[in-house]
Amino acid sequence: MTTPTWGEPAGPLTSAEFRAAAQAIMANIEQVIEGKSATVRLALAVLIAEGHLLIEDVPGVGKTKLAKALARSIDCSVRRIQFTPDLLPSDVTGVSVYNQETRDFEFKPGAVFANLVVGDEINRASPKTQSALLECMEERQVTVDGTTYELQAPFMVVATQNPIEMEGTYPLPEAQRDRFTARIAMGYPDPRAELAMLAGQNDHDPLNDLRAVTDAATVRRLIETARAVHAADAVQQYAIALVTATREAPEIRLGASPRCTLQLIRTAKAVAALEGRDYVLPDDLQALAVPVLAHRIIPTADAQLNRRTTDAIVSEIVHRLPLPHARNPYDTRDGRASYESRGR
Amino acid sequence: MTGRRRLGLVAAGSTLLAAAPLTAIFESWTWIMYCLVTVALIEGAAVTTRTFRFPTWAQAASMTLALLLALTWIFPSGKEIIIPQPDTFAHFAELIRQAGEDTRAFGVPVPDRDGLLFVAVLGVGAVTIVVDLLTAVFRRPALAGLPMLAIYSIPVAVYTESVPAIPFVIGAAGFMWLLVADNVDRVRRFGRRFTGDGRDVDVWEPSPLAAAGRRIGVAGMLVAVVLPLAVPTVEGGLLTQLTQSGSGAGAGSGNGPGGRINLFASLSGQLNHTTTIPLLKVTTDEPEPFYLRFAIADVLTDNGFGNESPRGGALNLGLPDPRRQAATRLSTYTEHRARVEVSKDLQQNMAPLYTYALGVSDLKGSWAYDQNQQVLYSGRTTTRDQQYDITYLRARYTADQLRQAPSLASNDALMAYTATPGDATVEAAVTSLIKGKTTDYDKVRAIYNWFSKDNGFRYSLATQTTGKASEIADFLNNKAGYCQQYAAAMAWMVRAAGIPARVAFGFTRGTPGGEGTYTITNRNAHAWTEVYFQGFGWVPFDATPAAGVTGSARSASNWAPDVDRPAPTASTSADAGAPVPDSSGDPGAANGPDKSGVGEEQGGTTGQATETTDWTGLWIAASIALVLALLLVPALRRVLVRRRRHAATAPEAPVVLSAEGITDLTVTGETGRARQDAHAAWDELVDSMVDFQVPVDPTETPRVTAQRLVRDLSLTGEPAEAATLLGTAEERARYARQPLQGAELTSALRRIRSGMSGSVSRRIRLRATLLPPSVLLSWRRGMGEWSTRSAERLAGLRESLTRFNPRRLLTRTR
Repeated sequence: MTTPTWGEPAGPLTSAEFRAAAQAIMANIEQVIEGKSATVRLALAVLIAEGHLLIEDVPGVGKTKLAKALARSIDCSVRRIQFTPDLLPSDVTGVSVYNQETRDFEFKPGAVFANLVVGDEINRASPKTQSALLECMEERQVTVDGTTYELQAPFMVVATQNPIEMEGTYPLPEAQRDRFTARIAMGYPDPRAELAMLAGQNDHDPLNDLRAVTDAATVRRLIETARAVHAADAVQQYAIALVTATREAPEIRLGASPRCTLQLIRTAKAVAALEGRDYVLPDDLQALAVPVLAHRIIPTADAQLNRRTTDAIVSEIVHRLPLPHARNPYDTRDGRASYESRGR
Repeated sequence: MTGRRRLGLVAAGSTLLAAAPLTAIFESWTWIMYCLVTVALIEGAAVTTRTFRFPTWAQAASMTLALLLALTWIFPSGKEIIIPQPDTFAHFAELIRQAGEDTRAFGVPVPDRDGLLFVAVLGVGAVTIVVDLLTAVFRRPALAGLPMLAIYSIPVAVYTESVPAIPFVIGAAGFMWLLVADNVDRVRRFGRRFTGDGRDVDVWEPSPLAAAGRRIGVAGMLVAVVLPLAVPTVEGGLLTQLTQSGSGAGAGSGNGPGGRINLFASLSGQLNHTTTIPLLKVTTDEPEPFYLRFAIADVLTDNGFGNESPRGGALNLGLPDPRRQAATRLSTYTEHRARVEVSKDLQQNMAPLYTYALGVSDLKGSWAYDQNQQVLYSGRTTTRDQQYDITYLRARYTADQLRQAPSLASNDALMAYTATPGDATVEAAVTSLIKGKTTDYDKVRAIYNWFSKDNGFRYSLATQTTGKASEIADFLNNKAGYCQQYAAAMAWMVRAAGIPARVAFGFTRGTPGGEGTYTITNRNAHAWTEVYFQGFGWVPFDATPAAGVTGSARSASNWAPDVDRPAPTASTSADAGAPVPDSSGDPGAANGPDKSGVGEEQGGTTGQATETTDWTGLWIAASIALVLALLLVPALRRVLVRRRRHAATAPEAPVVLSAEGITDLTVTGETGRARQDAHAAWDELVDSMVDFQVPVDPTETPRVTAQRLVRDLSLTGEPAEAATLLGTAEERARYARQPLQGAELTSALRRIRSGMSGSVSRRIRLRATLLPPSVLLSWRRGMGEWSTRSAERLAGLRESLTRFNPRRLLTRTR
């Protein structure tokens, strides 16, 4: 059962239109979240890359607020799931209920049947419940009682979670983590932004004033535009090299998946489009490496004992990996000249 | 203990190998038999004492005893029964004394003289003991190289010119064997050697460490051989020799120390030299001085007359007085003084002297005098620029006095100077010449007189000879030659007549400059014959026609008068002025009828006619220029590369196309070219960064690199814009559908280069211009890649070769 609520796409946007739409969304969100334009931009990029976003940070830094602001800025169906320890998979996906009138089982869609699903505190539900998200996040469909239901397009899960060191949390299964395109951290606001926040939220919650500035159709066109961004061979090779490096790094037990490569390129295209470019740069990949790669990899026990975070490992890989077809074979970073010797 | 015993045996074996250089000393192989027996005895004693675990001193004592026994048995005095007696030691002392005499009496190679053999065996035995102790007891085999080297130093001391190489190689191999054996033993003491996968490693299996050692060894050897060649000051170095061989035979220089030079070749080189080079200036109080003399050739073989290395005592020990010596006391002597000033062109290590010098002073360097050859020589110093005084005695003889001289007994040591290779033509000629002559002097005069114009002999410099015996015989037939043929032929014939004779080399009187001063040039180089008369010593006879020799003193000797002089009939005008030293200063005129022949010679050698010293200077200048040019090669290469890239980045069409809105990838010639241009510009920028020592990071994107450039070098204005432009151009060329077109990359490059050079220190700027690091780095990279490739290839080759290696089967079956 599909419910396409959006009309047929009207083709890709021009560069100016794209920029205008994206700017509108970002400005809208930044009314609520002060001084986090990079985070906001990344969240929007994930949306345009048809990905899912995981916002991980300590409580009270505005994770939920970001998720809600993003949802409200777009005029589309939004559902929110509060993940609690007693939440069941059927609460997420929906359940077949016996209708006494028709004397038949009738499917009651769960919370995922929306364009934007805000999963709050996702790691407070048991892995069993979280597993309910696996199918819908990747395949954009839900199968209940042998019947498969297509989800609306586009479909995005914005989940928030506390770091797993916090009490009352379950770690997300690897499979599910892999389905999130990017994991971003909010970080504490700088003092000026915090002051502005105090002033803005003195009498009321600005979230309530937030109005949708775009609609689902426009988002679809944004997505389509981003897809057309050119990723040169060198860029694709660089993405592969990055991912491969995580698989080969001695500190990493589980490297990034091919799905990750795909999402990395997609997100990079979205970022490039947001910057008004029609081609992806390795700079984009470098900027995205930590948000896109770090939450998927599992460090070895040694690395964990050494308190090496996955973020640190990934950014080290980025700093170590030469660009493909680097036209300069020299490396004079540490004062003494060296060069890339041909691999044996 | 087995290890020690084995090491002891190796020590003995390697000592024997190290004794190989003695082959150059002895004529026969007797010494090696003696040494074998001695070394075997010594080592037997060592092994026995080691088996019974005797203390070290007892081992040493037993070896010494073994040496003593061996000496006693090999060189018995006849009075002992197995055990040495007091007489034995007296005999040993006598042998040692004999050896001392023999070393003075015999030239190398020496015959089997008991004294010399005794000393050799004693020495080798002592070395065996020392090497054994050092190796097996003190475990310091490297030190054992010193006594081994002592053996090698004997031929080095005797042969001042050159030492045979093969004995040294054998000796060195012995030393290597010793070192290897010791190291293998050392490693074995730790137990078995095995690889990481538990396979046993054989001794001979190559290890990376050994490979490194080999490489270091080869490099060290190359440096040791090549470096001395390149140093121009080392005398007799290859470079010096090469430079000097360029000027014909050279001005008497380039002949190594000591004596084994080809004096004939040197002489002919002097005489055939196209230019006249003043070599000496002599001032003497003697009214009619005879020739200056510096070398003799006294060995006659099939190869003609050759010379022995001179041997003698140091000059400062004093020179012998001929008046007090039995061999020469019959002559009458007059004492004279002379001062010799040698120019810089006479660079030889035999100093020209008048015969019977009593004292030589002011001569710099260490010089030695060979009494027998009457030659003053030096191992290291040359005569170049030397000035010295000579006090000398001039011997005067009359024909009658010489006629009184008795013939030598057939067993006299001097009869060695009568040896000839034997030639039927010469023998026949001599026999017919001396028929009926009774005294030695008459025989010599008969031969001497024969070399006259009347008999068809004529002077010709054109004759090219190597001094070979057969050619001397030829000379007797065709009768055309110059001093060297005359001198050699006469010496041979006198020898054939049973009278000691030899060939002397030196200079004629030269051109008189008044007040007893004579200037001697290369034209005055000369050779003549010396004949031994009992009681008078070596008496000079100059058979060469005076006409051909500038400054000939032939007429001055009344015992050997000029045979051509009384017969002026057949001669032309050249003959008239002949006895008088040439005063025109043109020595070529004195060559008279043979001028044409000399002319031909000159024609053939004009190309090489340059002064020796100029060559050396030229070489040095050329080397410096070459080094400078080589140093400038990187800078040149950098400039060329930059020019090429600039040519590539020069804009063709000034149209600025926007890539905006273009979605489909179009690869046209123009975009392709724009891409290439941007790449070229970027390469140039990166090279410039390397040149100015701005760090280059291969993980950086062009954009970040450009930003970093602007930030780190605090570029502002045009250079900053240029950096951003170049970054954008490269970024778009690499990653965008449409490259940036029509940008002024060349001027941007110039701007950023000037911006970079403005923000670095002067030293870096200079280096970037003269020795651009980018070029050096890329060359280094090329070298590195090349060596990696060749190493890979080599490894592959080795891999394929091991397929045929039988050792592989050994390890497999194990």
